[in-house]
Amino acid sequence: MHWLALYLPDTIAAADRETWRLRALHLTPRVAQVDEALVLEVSASLRLWGGADRLLQQLLGSNWHLAGVLYAQAATYLIAIALLRLQRLGQPPPQSCPQQLPLSVLGAAQPHLSVLARVGCTTWGDLRALPRAGVARRFGLPLLEALDAAHGERVETCTWLTLPEDFDLRLELPALATSAPELMWTAQRLLSALQAWLRARQRGVLAIELEWALDLKRLDGVLLPPTQRLTLRTAEPTQSTDHLRRLVGEHLARAALAAPANALRLRTLETAPWAGASTSLLPQDLRKGEKLHELVERLSVRLGAEQVRWPQTLADHRPEHRQRWVNARDAQGQSVASPVGNQDALLPTWLLREPLPLRVVQGQPYFQGPLHTLTSPQRIEGGWWDTATAEGTVLRDYFVARSAQSGLLWIYRERARVGATHAASDTTERWFLHGAYA
Amino acid sequence: MVSIYTVQKYSYQSKTMAAVLSARDLPGVWPAHALATPSVAAYATGFAALDAELPGGGWPEAGLVELLLPAQAQHRWLVLLPALAARLRQHSGPLVLIGAPSLLGPQAPALEPFSPALAAQGMPAHRLLCINATSAAQRLWACEQALRCADTVAVVAWLPAREGTVQPAALRRLHVGAVDYGKPLFVLRSVQAQQASTPAPLRLEVAVESDHAPGLQVRILKRRGPPLHSTLALRSPLPRLDALLQARPSTAVSGEVSHALVGAVPA
Repeated sequence: MHWLALYLPDTIAAADRETWRLRALHLTPRVAQVDEALVLEVSASLRLWGGADRLLQQLLGSNWHLAGVLYAQAATYLIAIALLRLQRLGQPPPQSCPQQLPLSVLGAAQPHLSVLARVGCTTWGDLRALPRAGVARRFGLPLLEALDAAHGERVETCTWLTLPEDFDLRLELPALATSAPELMWTAQRLLSALQAWLRARQRGVLAIELEWALDLKRLDGVLLPPTQRLTLRTAEPTQSTDHLRRLVGEHLARAALAAPANALRLRTLETAPWAGASTSLLPQDLRKGEKLHELVERLSVRLGAEQVRWPQTLADHRPEHRQRWVNARDAQGQSVASPVGNQDALLPTWLLREPLPLRVVQGQPYFQGPLHTLTSPQRIEGGWWDTATAEGTVLRDYFVARSAQSGLLWIYRERARVGATHAASDTTERWFLHGAYA
Repeated sequence: MVSIYTVQKYSYQSKTMAAVLSARDLPGVWPAHALATPSVAAYATGFAALDAELPGGGWPEAGLVELLLPAQAQHRWLVLLPALAARLRQHSGPLVLIGAPSLLGPQAPALEPFSPALAAQGMPAHRLLCINATSAAQRLWACEQALRCADTVAVVAWLPAREGTVQPAALRRLHVGAVDYGKPLFVLRSVQAQQASTPAPLRLEVAVESDHAPGLQVRILKRRGPPLHSTLALRSPLPRLDALLQARPSTAVSGEVSHALVGAVPA
């Protein structure tokens, strides 16, 4: 058995205590709170973390001594706690442990200290030398049991800490926040607690909700809600706070506070089992950089979801209906299969969002100068079934034309509809610019 | 006598210098009459005539390449298409297109990539990630983010016509990022940017073709090697379109419909 005891001073805030607990649970499942100390049984995890020193490094991090954190390690948790108490009292550990440990650092001996001192019993060894039956009769069974447990002769029973199903933590802000970016500092602390929780529960997060409590009930006569919320989603389960922090930062840079906020709460909406990051053995597969969904999500937050998109080819003959745009954030993970045969090397690589009407001078279309058609017309007729919009039906002759400045362009001439021949009395042809060749 | 001696001395020195240079290749040093050996690998552009004039024999695998296009023809990216299609075939992941060219000006209807045509060039639709961003700052930011992504195959960015907003320092930052993450980045700018200095090791200008100069007209403005004064006329990589344009003389009578096609012919 290898026990660690950790003392967290009162100056550490409740949320940070929670983080310490979560971090301990990440290293071993056997963590308990005994009196003032957090104790960890790590013998089963030593090999995983590369030895006791490495594990301590993981647990304590870098700035632990600045925060006033103390730790001790021993074969049983009672000895570890006793050593921790000696440290707090500023006394050096005794030469032989646990025989020479003073009884004042044993929790079960506290009610009997004065009697024991008068008997001449000051160390654990002295007490253990006394006849067991007499000790049990005089001081009760718990003292004897504690002594046995301290010497490892009895199974230690602790109530192990367990983690809740969902992460939910609320922190008071250090000062009233008047703008959303001011929440970032507290959000970061919440996110590091979330990361510890995720690691301890072996889960990856898919959606989180940030909620800040407003300090005012009404502002300018308008009743305010008690809280405001922000929901964040990511496409793949993640444990890395880097991506979440950037997402939160981008969202907060855009969010507006209805009133100053005084508290921030973070909870998970959706989590998934964490499979771990898989890496390849081949060096050429180890490309550095972040994942695609992280890129798409970050761009979508800052630029707007409809600005980051994939084209999707559709089976139609009308050029404007041959593709449609899907937001990349919504279409992640699903590979959109293109209809077979919907590709044509004779089409231009650029399409105008809306056809641009062209000026016609003496029967010739003009776009920055006269356009000379280079090909025979390609007739496209279709969409008669599309009666929902007037634009659905297409009756066009497409040409490739050359412009002096812009190179090859794709233009069309609209043909009169059969039913509307009498209405289109004027004989001027209508020309449009619809695409441009690379 | 003295002058002869010095000339001999210099020539002797230059011989030793050449010997030193040929004996071991110094990074970043190349003889002025030959193309440099680039530090990063290169891949073929798809145009043999262009490959022969580029250091390493193609586009660099990582780093910034600047392409200058006429202000009215910012959409002429044909010179990139074969290489990008080949890269998409070899690697998995998306090609990121940032911004889009416009034919007329900022208020004109913007051009959008037309996926059936791009699919015919070997660039399937589901691998084109198109990012609309209006300002230059946003486009530069999006470039940097796209370079950081491990899955990105290449990044192609159009910078808006008003060039005053793009600082060379911003482009240098992108170049360093592209080299760092091993991604090719193509920045397409207007020819007006030719006067400004560039951190890109490779800068090309594409001219609009005309009747007396058909095909792709490409000038190499900057490369690691001797300056190239002639214009390269490259064969268009669109044989079917060329065949169509060849089939009819340019004096086509637009009124007559001789050839009607409904729908698509598979390429």
